[in-house]
Amino acid sequence: MAITEHTPLEIGPGDTARYAQRPLGVFTRPQEGRGWRDWLSTVDHKRIGILYGASAMFFFLVGGVEALLIRLQLAAPEGSVLSADVYNQVYTMHGVTMVFLFIMPLAAAFANYFIPLQIGARDVAFPRLNALSFWIWLSGAIFLNTSWIVGGGGADCGWFCYSTNSGVAFSPSHGVDFYAIGLQILGIASLVSSVNLIVTCLNMRAPGMTLMRMPVMTWMLLITQFLLLFALPVITVALFLLMFDRLFDAQFFNPDAGADPLLWQHLFWIFGHPEVYIIILPAFGVVSEVIPTFSRKPLFGYEFMVFSGIAIGFMGWGVWAHHMFVSGIGPISVAAFSLSTMFIAVPTGVKVLNWLATMWGGKLKFTVAMKFAVATVAMFTIGGLSGVTHSVAPADTQQTDTYYIVAHFHYVIFGGGVLGLFAGMYFWWPKIWGHFLNERLGNWHFWVMLVGFNLTFGPMHILGLQGMSRRIDTYARGYGFEFWNMAATVGSLLIAVAVLIFIWNVVKSKRDAPHLPPPGPDPWDGRTLEWSIPSPVPTHNFDTVPQVHSRDDWWHTKYAEDDDGRVVRVATVEEAAQTGEATGVHLPSPSFWPLAVAVGLPLIGYGLIFNLWLALIGALLTIASLYSWALEPVDDPDAAHDHHEEDHQEAQEADNDGDEQ
Amino acid sequence: MAETPVTAWRRAVIWALLLLGAATVAGCASDAELDTFAPQGPIARELHSRGVLPVFWIAAVVFVGITIAMVWLIWKNRVRTYDGDDDWPAQTHGHVPLEVGWTVGFFVTMTAVAGIMLWSLPTVDATEDNTMTVSVDDRSVSWAPTVVVVGNQWWWEFRYYFSDQVDLADLRAHGDAKTLPPADIVTSGQMVIPTGEEVELILTSRDVIHSFWIPALNGKRDAVPNRFSPWKIEASDPGVYFGQCTEFCGLSHSRMRMQTVALTPADFQAWVDRTSADAAEPTAADALAGMEVFAGICTSCHVVEGLNDDVFESADQASGAAPNLTHFAERSTFAGGILDTYNADGSLNRPDLEAWLRDPGAVKANYTVPGEQYRGMPDLDLSEQQIDDLVAYLSGLGAKPAGWIIEATQVD
Repeated sequence: MAITEHTPLEIGPGDTARYAQRPLGVFTRPQEGRGWRDWLSTVDHKRIGILYGASAMFFFLVGGVEALLIRLQLAAPEGSVLSADVYNQVYTMHGVTMVFLFIMPLAAAFANYFIPLQIGARDVAFPRLNALSFWIWLSGAIFLNTSWIVGGGGADCGWFCYSTNSGVAFSPSHGVDFYAIGLQILGIASLVSSVNLIVTCLNMRAPGMTLMRMPVMTWMLLITQFLLLFALPVITVALFLLMFDRLFDAQFFNPDAGADPLLWQHLFWIFGHPEVYIIILPAFGVVSEVIPTFSRKPLFGYEFMVFSGIAIGFMGWGVWAHHMFVSGIGPISVAAFSLSTMFIAVPTGVKVLNWLATMWGGKLKFTVAMKFAVATVAMFTIGGLSGVTHSVAPADTQQTDTYYIVAHFHYVIFGGGVLGLFAGMYFWWPKIWGHFLNERLGNWHFWVMLVGFNLTFGPMHILGLQGMSRRIDTYARGYGFEFWNMAATVGSLLIAVAVLIFIWNVVKSKRDAPHLPPPGPDPWDGRTLEWSIPSPVPTHNFDTVPQVHSRDDWWHTKYAEDDDGRVVRVATVEEAAQTGEATGVHLPSPSFWPLAVAVGLPLIGYGLIFNLWLALIGALLTIASLYSWALEPVDDPDAAHDHHEEDHQEAQEADNDGDEQ
Repeated sequence: MAETPVTAWRRAVIWALLLLGAATVAGCASDAELDTFAPQGPIARELHSRGVLPVFWIAAVVFVGITIAMVWLIWKNRVRTYDGDDDWPAQTHGHVPLEVGWTVGFFVTMTAVAGIMLWSLPTVDATEDNTMTVSVDDRSVSWAPTVVVVGNQWWWEFRYYFSDQVDLADLRAHGDAKTLPPADIVTSGQMVIPTGEEVELILTSRDVIHSFWIPALNGKRDAVPNRFSPWKIEASDPGVYFGQCTEFCGLSHSRMRMQTVALTPADFQAWVDRTSADAAEPTAADALAGMEVFAGICTSCHVVEGLNDDVFESADQASGAAPNLTHFAERSTFAGGILDTYNADGSLNRPDLEAWLRDPGAVKANYTVPGEQYRGMPDLDLSEQQIDDLVAYLSGLGAKPAGWIIEATQVD
């Protein structure tokens, strides 16, 4: 367990003798430091958040290249950039990469970094488990992508991978094996992480922070973790059965052996629909922080926002079969799922109007973060409304599996999710790195991306209604698809330019940072606790764990309302913010074992596909590492409890080096 | 008068929006064979007017409302910078009656949408008890128009049962799609239906899940292996209505297309007369040679009634079937509905037919690894002579369809 104490835990020198026996294991206990190796053993939620974010952005580029290949292939009729086989792999891996390797881990980055900061905690509940989540996720992500090299290509069954097309007879390469095992590995990561973050939210809030004082972003992330917790076991079961079908000739999905051919679809979408909310709720959370800050108003209707988030989280479980309106599930099921789908639009619509009401009468300052946040609301509204049009099941029989659906979910996931998380990046960048992202480049990034996004996905509405099917590697001349496909391809190139501008912004902002005034703890006049501590955040987060008195506690520390309801400043940031200079804060110790456990899992995966002996080696590595981890004390008795005692720490590091030689 | 930069910017935005609008109109107005907004039969028309359009209007009104509100809010409340500590608006935290109000408002709106759904659901689910009289083998039978539609990688088979010997409501009694009872007519790629009759479809598949969709005549429904799903279509007027498999079905999913040819009842009867008969023996020398080639190579997968239907068991395909070619020349497309059998002037589209026989994989990706079940037509390594002979044989299997059908099939 990490730190729940309100005052630093003191362990006198005499007490350490009780823990003095060395842990069983091959590693010398690592110390927190600043070298690259320290990133491998870190258990600091902020570093893990950065690792998640950086890896997610890498896979954004991978998925983006796949998207560009798709758009180049479809730019003109009878495209020949990719063969049918490669196209199917590329579109499958584009979906899998963007969902599992980009937007979920990017949301995890925000969750890891900001949940503890927003609730006034020094770390998550289980720091080593947190490291385990990341390393398992990364090993799964790498495993999945190695199928391009060693698996005979990527999975070619679509991210939904319907049986019976996912069977060996119809997808003979190892791509689907990598999909089935890779997603299971990724699922472990998300599951571990969700338990960790749920416990963190429920148990580690600063004194006074009741649930109804929790920042809305933390609320949305908490709901997301519950969705993950319940959704992932379902897809894991499905993937496990698929794996057995493919590798060991089980017959779970073989209709010739009596299987129900729709079983996979039910299992997949019971996971797959909550997954949509797993993707969108974190962005809703970001928007709910950014819009109030730059409207200079509190979020309108906090309770409605929280409860509509919870309502979405609940109702999200009852709509899965709207992905199956044409599968032949029968009119009663169709009507029932059509109705539940419609009414999930109610809490979603409430959220949109509450954001607008937050802006109503506000003073809107359009920083880049605010632009992205407002664009998120606007684009998500389009995606939500197109969703309403095909919630009408009979109408959906014309629309499903056409580009209309592709347009719809890109407006939701890209327009809602990705733009929202970009808002979060511009908003919290100074908190994470201690310098702003350049606003001028940010404006270019925003406008090019917004135009490119609409030019790419807007025309897909028209294409879909004109009858263009999804998942086709080419289309014939003369069906009226030429013009808008070309427009969409031009749009996708604009999105690529926007992403390059963003990357350049990251580089240039870092380069320019030394010549610019530092942002200070609270550059945006923020509302929540993370703005009460220095930027970048010190390792121990809070010098003293704050006592929380109200919602938006940090804002109320700075401001009060007089009798006429006018806002008056009661404290400056300099007076109220923490300095980050506390000493004697006891922090959890780094560990290599999470990484070692994670390395074993892809070995098991390769072993299952190619050679079971390799699986045995991987399993042994994982199990041995788990035991070593279990026998390793939570806190290193030899480590400094005061990370500011630099001398002490350096002495320890020197000690380590000696041990390694 | 010199323009200020702001008005110049606004003018640019207005021009861009106008251009966008013009482009949208231009893009939509083009001839789109699969257009979902151009219904051609009573089912599709009712689906469009009851199910699609009302909810589009509701969505459009909500969209315009929210967009206007958002633009107005932005325009009215935007500031360049904050004027120090005192520059704070009134701190409203919420307004419960208002929020309850729009919760109820959305609820009522969605209840209206739910009404639309429940009102339009019978459009696609209710069936008519219509029958027509068809004469088959000089017998007059009362036929409830029904076609059994079977998906295969990557082509559609259409089976017609005119007699009441086969209980179509209980096809499961015969096993699955691989063990269907013999039909009066088996064709592929193009389904022929009579106009003015609701045609019930029974959808199934021999391999993976496919989806049958003729947008002009109705929405889509999946063809699922081991299941027999009901669906229906109806065309008001004679015509060729285009379709595309819409459930991802593997390698050549994009090249799995189909057409529905609607004929007047009299023309339909003529079509039944022609295609319920066995293939005629060719007389020309090259066609006879082609039949020899066909019997030696092609019959390991394909059936021609009168040639090998009595000895055929199963095709060397994952689906166990390949298109029945008895009346190949009756169809205006081949190769899974993707290639035209005839040119616009009615002459045989020899280049495409030869290219298909020469190297099918180049036209439509296939999976032909020796030792594993084929998916798609394999490369048969035919000589040019064999190809010429086969073209002569195939083009003589059945009568050429009417000129208007050939013309309507041309997509360009």
